[in-house]
Amino acid sequence: MTEEEIREKIFDIIAKEARIDRGTLTLETKLEDLKIESLDMVQILFGIEDAFDVYVPQDDQSFKLSTMKDVVDGVKRLVAAKQQQTA
Amino acid sequence: MSEPVRVAVTGIGSISSLGHDVGEIWAALQAGKSGIAPITQAPINEVNIKIAAEVKNYDETKRFDDRELLVYDRYTQFALIAAKEAMTDSGVDFKKDAALGLETAVIIASGVGGWGTIDQAFYSLHKLGRARAHPLTIPRMMISAAASQISMKYGLKGPAFCISSACSSSNHAIGEAYWMIRTGRAKAALAGGSEAEISLTSQRSWESLRVMASDTCRPFSKDRKGMVIGEGAGILVLERLDDAKKRGAKIYCEMAGYGLSADAGDIVMPDADGAARALRQALQSAELAPDGVDYINAHGTGTQLNDATEVKAIKSVFGGAAKRLMVSSTKSMHGHALGAASALEAVATVKAIQDGVVPPTANYLGPDPDCDLDHVPNTARKAKIRAALSNSLAFGGLNAVVAFRAV
Repeated sequence: MTEEEIREKIFDIIAKEARIDRGTLTLETKLEDLKIESLDMVQILFGIEDAFDVYVPQDDQSFKLSTMKDVVDGVKRLVAAKQQQTA
Repeated sequence: MSEPVRVAVTGIGSISSLGHDVGEIWAALQAGKSGIAPITQAPINEVNIKIAAEVKNYDETKRFDDRELLVYDRYTQFALIAAKEAMTDSGVDFKKDAALGLETAVIIASGVGGWGTIDQAFYSLHKLGRARAHPLTIPRMMISAAASQISMKYGLKGPAFCISSACSSSNHAIGEAYWMIRTGRAKAALAGGSEAEISLTSQRSWESLRVMASDTCRPFSKDRKGMVIGEGAGILVLERLDDAKKRGAKIYCEMAGYGLSADAGDIVMPDADGAARALRQALQSAELAPDGVDYINAHGTGTQLNDATEVKAIKSVFGGAAKRLMVSSTKSMHGHALGAASALEAVATVKAIQDGVVPPTANYLGPDPDCDLDHVPNTARKAKIRAALSNSLAFGGLNAVVAFRAV
C-alpha cells in the first residue's frame, strides 16, 4: 500500500464516521477541531484497524494523535511494523 | 394521614407478532388471530421447533437512520417504537415540561437484552476468527440499553434502570414504576419491557429445555404441548391520577395494585403457593375483593405444568369467586415474549378494560380437567371489566401480579 493510498483511506474513514465533508480535511487539520464524538472515535479506530489489519495501541505514548498527519504517520508506522514482522 | 397517591395509565404502546402498534395488535387479539408462524430469524432446517411469534414485515431502515442502527440492537428498536407510541398517546410533552422530565422514571425490562448483538460478536470471534469485535458491541448488548436510549431520546432524567426477572421482568418494571409514583419518588414513568432474542442459538437452547410446542401455543387446552417464543415490546405511561385529571388526559384505567413473591423452590418448576401469595398481595394492595375482579390475563404459557399450577393458585385465592372469573392467555396469539411478555399482556389488559372486551385463549381444543376455569376459548367476549389482574410467574419462581381498575 502506497503512502498516498494510506492517506486517502484514512481520510475516507474519518470523513465517513465523523460525518465531515471530506473536501475540508487536510493533513494539517486538528482532530480537536473536528469535534469527533467518542462513539465516532471508536468507530474510526475500528475502521482503521479493519482497513489496515493492524492494532492501534491504546497506551502507546508515541502514538499521539493531534492532527490528521499524526494519524497518517501513526498508521504508516503500524503498517511498516507489520510488514517487517511478516517479512 | 393523606390519601395514598393513585396512579393512572395514560398512554400505551406496543409492537409484537400481531402488529406494529396497539391498534393492529388489539384488533388481532379481539379476532383471536395468532401471530405464530414459521420461524425466519433462524435457519428453519437447523431447528427442531420451527415456529415462533416474530414481529413481521419489519424493516429497521424505515424506522431508524444509519447512525441510530449502529447503536440500537433489535430489542432497543422495539422499545423505542413502543415508547414513542405510548408517549404520543399520553399527550405529555416532556420537551415542553422539563420539570416533569426530571421526575419521570424510565423502567424498561428485558430478559436478555441485546442477544442478537452478543450472538453476532461471538460468531465473528469464535467461528469466523475475526481479530476484533465491533466497537459498539457493549453499548448495543447491555440489558439496560433500552432504558438509556429512551431516557436520552425524551430527556427523562428521573430514576432509570432495567429490571430482569426472566418472564416476570415487565410486570416487575411496571409494578416498581407504580410504587415509585405512589411513594413520591417519581411523578410519572415510562414502564414496560422489550425482548428480541429469536435466533438459532436461543431457539436451540429453548428446545433443549423441552418446554416448547411444535404445533402452536394452546394454553389451558387439552393436548397443549408447551410454549412458543415471541418477541416485541410494550410500554405504559403511568402518572399520578390527579395530575392526569388536571391536564385533561385520556385515562385508560387506574394501575391499582402490585403483588410479588418468590417460590424459593425450583429453577424451572412453578409453585402454586408462591403464585397465590403474589395474587393475594396484588388484591390487597389494590383493595380489591376476589369478587371485584372480572378478568385475569394469565401467565398461561401453554406448558402442562404452568397452566395447571396457575389454575390451582387462582382457585386457592379466589375460592368460590373463581367460577365467574374470565381467565385467558393472550400468549396463544403473541407468543411468549419472555422479558416483554407481561408488558404485551399489560397493554392487552388495559385495552380489555377500556373497550369491555376480553381477549380469548386462541388455539383452544377443549377442556383439560386440571384447567377448569372460564378460559374464554377462541372467541373474544364483550364484558364489563371492573378490575383485572395480569399474572407473571417466571422461571426461577419469581412472581409478579399487577392490578388495573376501571375509573
